[in-house]
Amino acid sequence: MKAETGKYGLKRWVGLGLIVAFLLCARALGLTPGGLIPPDAGHWERTGEFFAAALDPAFDYEDGNVPDDADPIWWKGIKGVFLTLKFAFGAMSLAVPTALVLGFLGSSAWWPEPCGRRTRVLLRSVYLVSRLFMSVIRSIHELIWALLFLSAMGVSPLAGMIALALPFSGTLGKVFSEIIDEEARDAAQALKAIGHGPVQTFLVGILPRATPNLVSYSFYRFECALRSSAVLGFVGIETIGLYIELSHEEFYYREVWTYLYLLIAMIVVVDLWGAAIRRRLHTSTGGCAI
Amino acid sequence: MPSAFRLDNVTRRYGALRAVDGVSFEIKKGEQVALIGPSGSGKTTLIRLLNSMLSPDEGPIRVFDSDLATCDAGALRRLRTTLATIPQHLGLVPNLTAIQNVILGQGGSRGTLRSLRDLLAPSRADAVEIHTILDRVGIEEKLYTRVARLSGGQQQRVAIARAIFQHPAALLADEPVSSVDPARARDTVKLLCELSAEHGFTLCVSLHDLALAREFFPRLIGMRKGRIVFDGAPDELGEEDQQALYDLSDEEMMADA
Repeated sequence: MKAETGKYGLKRWVGLGLIVAFLLCARALGLTPGGLIPPDAGHWERTGEFFAAALDPAFDYEDGNVPDDADPIWWKGIKGVFLTLKFAFGAMSLAVPTALVLGFLGSSAWWPEPCGRRTRVLLRSVYLVSRLFMSVIRSIHELIWALLFLSAMGVSPLAGMIALALPFSGTLGKVFSEIIDEEARDAAQALKAIGHGPVQTFLVGILPRATPNLVSYSFYRFECALRSSAVLGFVGIETIGLYIELSHEEFYYREVWTYLYLLIAMIVVVDLWGAAIRRRLHTSTGGCAI
Repeated sequence: MPSAFRLDNVTRRYGALRAVDGVSFEIKKGEQVALIGPSGSGKTTLIRLLNSMLSPDEGPIRVFDSDLATCDAGALRRLRTTLATIPQHLGLVPNLTAIQNVILGQGGSRGTLRSLRDLLAPSRADAVEIHTILDRVGIEEKLYTRVARLSGGQQQRVAIARAIFQHPAALLADEPVSSVDPARARDTVKLLCELSAEHGFTLCVSLHDLALAREFFPRLIGMRKGRIVFDGAPDELGEEDQQALYDLSDEEMMADA
């Protein structure tokens, strides 16, 4: 009983500590609830316009200077959505194989047993280096990678795709290596015990064992890549984000909402698709005694 | 009769704990042995020493004609292809089918590329052999069923089939019946002993259930706190031996609680 009171006591202190930390941060940043209210009439008006435009999205360009032979705005929006989708898909196509390699190097379930001292030191170094590499590439946000690549390679689709693929490889690789180490260890041990080699154990035991969760997590990250790919438009890469940014700069809020609705529609569709796939994967391995 | 396993004063420590403590015994080729003793007595560690997944801190272990201490990684792998192991949690790949799991039994001798091909498209000869084995263990209709969709007892049969398909010289099973009901446990142990007689492989099974061990095995090795406290035929196991094996001291009761 005493131990339990102690545990709750600790929880209470942690909770209290978090609240105090939040208040200190808010104070340091000068946050007040009043900050939520627009400061003057001009801002009020703009906010009102923005939200009013949500009820009245544009079916035609608000800009009068658009040439007559230009695509209609909804078609431009749909093309933007598909460009966004292409970027996300391209980035994930680079990131998933990279993450599989990194996840393999950053996991230990496939290591030979028993592991000699020299082999262990070598494998441990590879493990640590790949974990460190994954930490570094995912600690830099895709927007910052995009700025770096854009200044090096110019505004090119490839730069955008690599900028997205890099941090995603890091995050995917880290989670892949954890999935591999946490779930597949029993199957891996059983195969090693009957003479399978390390790489063989990985390919025929660990990968099939971990596949449902690897696929499920990759899908979730694909949804994240879609959102990130849209945001890359803000640094000049041609996705729906670029159209949103350009219309927003000109205060064409109704156009902004047209694009936003199309983006939301795509994300909802992909989310539903992903959820259906995850559910199927889950039921195919569900009820398993292992 | 030549020996399958020979241990001479073997010790394996985990930190300060001596999981296996100065153990010596010999198991002859073709012998059927049950390892008995309470949980935590060192049975699992001993099995992992026998299949070379663990190396001992002290003492030589000979498996068939090899001294494990002198084997390099390649020699260990070749040796393991002749030793089937059924781990306590079976170690199956749940999202593969029964035939795919069983075919991996020969993966050790076949190598990586062949194993991948086996998973994608098993040869006709393998499929026929595996069907026969599954028929023998009583689940032939489950050949193409995913293991995740099988019951605990059926998954156990798949693990046994994988071991048989390996054509082992010895089969080591760690608590194979810990997760099934008593009737099924009896069938499984009986099946393992019959298969050992049919195929002529050495059998070493760790068992929690003393009654089962006594019923089916001609030799019992009893362990307690990493040491061997009994080694003999079931009818030699007297009241005193059983007490030495299973009566928990106060100290152990505390540790168990």
